[in-house]
Amino acid sequence: MRLHSLVLKDISRRKIKLLVAVLGVAVASAALVAVVTTFSAATDSLYEESNNFGANIIVRPEVKTIPLLAGSTSMGSLLVGENYIEESEIPRIYTIMDSSKLSAVAPRLYGVAELGNASVVIMGVDPEEERKLKSWWKVRGDWISTEGAGQTEVMIGSDVATPMGLTEGSSITLRNGNISMDAQVTGVIESTGGNEDAYVILPLAASQHLLGREGKVSSLEVRALCNTCPVEEISMQIEEKFPGLEARSMSQIVRNELAIVEHIRSSAMAVSIITLLVSTLTVASTMLASVNEKLKEIGIMRAVGASDAQVVSMLLFEGAIIGAVGGIIGFVMGTIASSIAAPLLVQVTPLPMWSILLPVTGVCVLTGMLASILPAKRALGVDPAEVLRSV
Amino acid sequence: MSDGNNMIRIQGAGKRYPMGAGEVEVLRGISLDVKKGEFVSVMGQSGSGKTTLMNLIGMLDSPSEGTILIDGNDITLKPQKELVGLRRRTVGFVFQQFHLIPSLTAYENVALPLVFAGEKDNGAVDIALERVGLSHRKEHKPAELSGGEQQRVAIARAIVMKPKILLADEPTGALDGTTGSMIISLLRSLAGEMTVIMVTHNRELAMLSDRIVNLVDGNIAE
Repeated sequence: MRLHSLVLKDISRRKIKLLVAVLGVAVASAALVAVVTTFSAATDSLYEESNNFGANIIVRPEVKTIPLLAGSTSMGSLLVGENYIEESEIPRIYTIMDSSKLSAVAPRLYGVAELGNASVVIMGVDPEEERKLKSWWKVRGDWISTEGAGQTEVMIGSDVATPMGLTEGSSITLRNGNISMDAQVTGVIESTGGNEDAYVILPLAASQHLLGREGKVSSLEVRALCNTCPVEEISMQIEEKFPGLEARSMSQIVRNELAIVEHIRSSAMAVSIITLLVSTLTVASTMLASVNEKLKEIGIMRAVGASDAQVVSMLLFEGAIIGAVGGIIGFVMGTIASSIAAPLLVQVTPLPMWSILLPVTGVCVLTGMLASILPAKRALGVDPAEVLRSV
Repeated sequence: MSDGNNMIRIQGAGKRYPMGAGEVEVLRGISLDVKKGEFVSVMGQSGSGKTTLMNLIGMLDSPSEGTILIDGNDITLKPQKELVGLRRRTVGFVFQQFHLIPSLTAYENVALPLVFAGEKDNGAVDIALERVGLSHRKEHKPAELSGGEQQRVAIARAIVMKPKILLADEPTGALDGTTGSMIISLLRSLAGEMTVIMVTHNRELAMLSDRIVNLVDGNIAE
C-alpha cells in the first residue's frame, strides 16, 4: 500500500461529499470548454464570412522610383519596372507554404477604352474568382461569365449606366485604337460608392484582347484566411515566391478582423478566468470542510508517523484527483453545452475540440491542487495530541 | 545513546496550557524513570495529567520545562522534523477509541506506520496481526470488527514497527470487562520485548503491570 492508494480509498469512501468539489471543477471546466469551443468555431466562421470583406492582400509589380537630377536640380522622377504580371505565373501562388489559406486569387487588368464618345475604365476579371471577393455587389441582371454565348459579356457600374442610358441587355461597342469589340451588358452594378461605379467589367481574356495585353494582368487581389498566422506572413511568402512583385496586406481589414477576434477572445477569457476562480473557491471550501471532517484521521496519521510533507502531498493528490475528474466531466459537459448553445448564440455548430482535453484537464488539476493549499495549511496546524484528546 | 537501563527518564517536566487570559498547569515538574521492558500503569483522576504525560513521552507534545530522555535521546532538544522520525522508530500508540481509519482494512490499518516510514512490509504486518490473534480478520474493515478486535488491530498497528515503547491510553476504556482483561493480557505479553506505559482508571487491571504511578493534580504521588 502506498500513500496514493490511501487517498484513493479515502476518496471512494467520501465520494458523495467530494462530488460537490468535483462538480465545482466540472462547471468551471465546462464553461472553459464551452467558451473555447464556441469561440473557436465562431472565429472559423468569422474568417469564412470575412470573405465578404474582399481581398486582404494586393499583389502588383514592384515599381521603383528613381529621382532625375540635373546637377543639383530635380527634374522629377522615373518609374522603373514591369507594369504587368504574367498571367501564366499566377498558378505558382498556390505553391507558397500557406497556400491552403488562399481562398481567392483574383487577377485584374486595368485599361482605358472608348465607349461611344466617352472614355471609360475597363477592368478585366476572372468572373469566378472576382465573385468570391465581391459577393456583396448587387447586380441588376447577371454576373458576366468567362465564356459568353458567342458575344463578350460585360457588367457596368452605375456611373456608366445612368448617363449613357444603358441597362442589362444593352449592346455596346468598346474600342481601343484599331481594336473594336461588341459586347452585351449582362448586369448593372448598383452604386457601391467605390471605384467600380465607373468601371466596365469584362472577362480577363476579352480585356487582354481589347487592350492588346495578351497574357498580362495588372494586379492580383488575394483573399487569405488565416486565423493562426498573420496575413503579413502570407504576403511575405508571396513576395519570396515572386521576386519583382510586391504583396501588400490591407492592414485595415486585417486589423478590423483581428480586433473583432481579439474582443471575443478577451470576453471569453474573462468569463473563463472568473469561472475558474469561483471553482477554485468551491474546491477550496469543500477541501477545507473535508479536512475539518478528517482532523481526527489526520491526527491519527500524524500520531502513527505521517510527516508534514506526507500529509500535504496526500491533500494535494486528493485535489489533483478532484481536478482531473472534474476536468474530464467538464469537458464532456462543455462540449455538449457548446453544441446546444453555439448554434443559438453565434449561428455555428462546433465540433468537439479533443485537442483541448489535456490542457483543460491540466488546468483543472492545477486548480484542484491550488485549492488544496489552504486546507493543507490547516492540516499542518493539526496538533495530534489535541485532536486525539478531544475524541 | 542509551541511558543505562532506563528507556524513559523524565526530570522536572512541567506542562502548562494557556487558558483564557492565564494558564493552567497540568504537570508540575515531575520526575520519573521507566526501565527497558517495564510495564507501568499510570493512574489518576480525570484532569490529573495522565494523557498529557503520555503525549510528552510519545513526542506528540513538548514540555514547558524540564527534560525528557527517550532511549537516551533528549527529545526536548530535537526539532519537530527529527521527532517525527524518532517517534516512528521508537513509540507505538494505542488509544481508548482505537482510532482506526474506517476506509482501510485491518491489514491496511496495521500497515500504515510502514507506509509513512516508507518501509516495505516484508511480512511485518502478518506477524503483528498474528501476535494479536487476528490473522483471519485482516481483510475486514473496522466497522466489521468488534470493539475488542478493533483494539487488537490498534495494538498490532502500534507494534508493527517493533517500537521500544508502547503507550496505551485507556486501552480498555471502551471495552467490557472480559475483553478488557484480554487486552491487558496482550499488553502484559508484550512487556519485556518493549516498555509498556498504560493509562487506566481500573486498579484491578493496573495491578497486572510491574508498577503503578499515581498522578494527583499534576504531581506523582508516592
